[in-house]
Amino acid sequence: MRDTQTQSRKAPPKAAAKKRNGAAASDEIVAVLREFSVGQYGRRLDLSAFEGGPLADVARAVNASADHVEAEIAEARQRIEVVSAGVDEAIEAMVKLVIQGDLTGGLRIGVADSALAPLIAGVGQVMETLKKFVTEIREAALQLSTSSSEVLAAATQNESSTSAQASAIHETTATMEELKGASHQIAENAQMVASIAEQTLSGGRQGEGAIKAFMLSMEKVRHNAIEVDDAIAKLSKRVERIGTVVEVIDEIADRSDLLALNAALEGAKAGETGRGFSIVAAEMRRLAENVMESTKEIKNLITEIREATHAAKEASDGNKREASEGEKLGSNAMQNVSGILAGIQETSDAARVIHLATQQQRTATEQVVQSMSEIEEVTRQAQAGSKQATGAAAELTKLAERLAELVRRFRVD
Amino acid sequence: MTEASSEILMFQVGVRVFAAVVHDAVRIGSVAASPPDDLVCESALGTPFEQTRGIVVSGDEPGTERVLVVDQVIGIRSVPDVDVHPLPAFAAACLSSGAVSGFVLVDEVPMLLVDLPTLVRERPGVPAHEATP
Repeated sequence: MRDTQTQSRKAPPKAAAKKRNGAAASDEIVAVLREFSVGQYGRRLDLSAFEGGPLADVARAVNASADHVEAEIAEARQRIEVVSAGVDEAIEAMVKLVIQGDLTGGLRIGVADSALAPLIAGVGQVMETLKKFVTEIREAALQLSTSSSEVLAAATQNESSTSAQASAIHETTATMEELKGASHQIAENAQMVASIAEQTLSGGRQGEGAIKAFMLSMEKVRHNAIEVDDAIAKLSKRVERIGTVVEVIDEIADRSDLLALNAALEGAKAGETGRGFSIVAAEMRRLAENVMESTKEIKNLITEIREATHAAKEASDGNKREASEGEKLGSNAMQNVSGILAGIQETSDAARVIHLATQQQRTATEQVVQSMSEIEEVTRQAQAGSKQATGAAAELTKLAERLAELVRRFRVD
Repeated sequence: MTEASSEILMFQVGVRVFAAVVHDAVRIGSVAASPPDDLVCESALGTPFEQTRGIVVSGDEPGTERVLVVDQVIGIRSVPDVDVHPLPAFAAACLSSGAVSGFVLVDEVPMLLVDLPTLVRERPGVPAHEATP
């Protein structure tokens, strides 16, 4: 611009100015003014060319105006340079403050210009605001650090809890799977127990019938034993009667033997004459001995019969006792079997109920297993999310620490 | 020619069989039917087991009888006299009882021949001539 002004201040040649007059002078002034209008103040009018003319004062005024404008422009330029220097100094000082982080003091610049007062005031407000921000950011960073640490701890705890929960759910699912298998086995066993109870019930009823038949048999045995007892008593009386008769016969035979002996003795004493008598006596004695031998055999037989009847009586009494005992045992067995049948019936009913319940349990267990699988999947997702949250919390903690570290660089106190 | 023979009464006391001359016995009786005072249960022959029969022998006094209690009267046999042997004097002297008069072979089996009246007079272990007052 100065080059332009220097160029434009060059005076026009005197010969050319002398040639101007009237309209030419006006044109000259218009041209200069047109240059002024586009901010070119370097050109001046040649006053000598207007000497004596009506436009000489205008030309002087134009030149004076141009000089004045140029002076104003120079002054403005100088002021702009001062203000620019102040602004640069302020910006540089502020940048230094920001870089150094020292916000404790105010902005001090060497340029004293009233135009910089709003800037200084604005920068001061900015500094105050920045101090306030830094203070708040510091507090917020501190709270953020604390909170992020708490969040990290909570997230870590949550991750641990979620892992433990996932492990527990996994174990629970495995246990429920085993329970499902056990329920299935229990249902089958209950079915088997119910079947066996039915078979046992059928067998027990057959046993009940057998015991009834046994009791009838025992009653018949007891009646038969009584009849046998009566028959034995009659037989014993008959045998006793036979024994008495045999005793009589034996006595007669003994006397006959004795008589025969004495006859033989007398025959022997008589010598030859008594020989025939002795022979008859000997024959009689043989008969008597035969009779006694027979009666002895009969006595032996009677003794055997007595022993046999006694044994039969004992056996019959034993049969009666055993039959009575058998009837009592049968009655007891009947009561026991009735109790057993009732118990088996209850067992059968209970086994059926258990079978039904275990089937329901199995269904419920399967549903629980299904639910546990879904819960396990959800927990697995929650575990992954918890890990992500823990990572994010850790990252947040680092960021909070970084922010606190950055904010610590600013001193506001 | 008929061989001379003797009629002997065979009886059993305990497990032994003895012989006596038939004339020594008055009769054969029943122990149960005999008076208890007349019974001779223990003798030099021993003590009978069953005591069913009694051989009635004449007592010391006329009209009295003693009954030798035996187990069994086997019977009366006729044996040749050659089979009847009296007891040698030395043997008789060695015996404490004087009721043994010899021995007799019956079916080639020797058995003692007993003098029944002497036997019933003896007390057990005491000879008859000492027992008699």
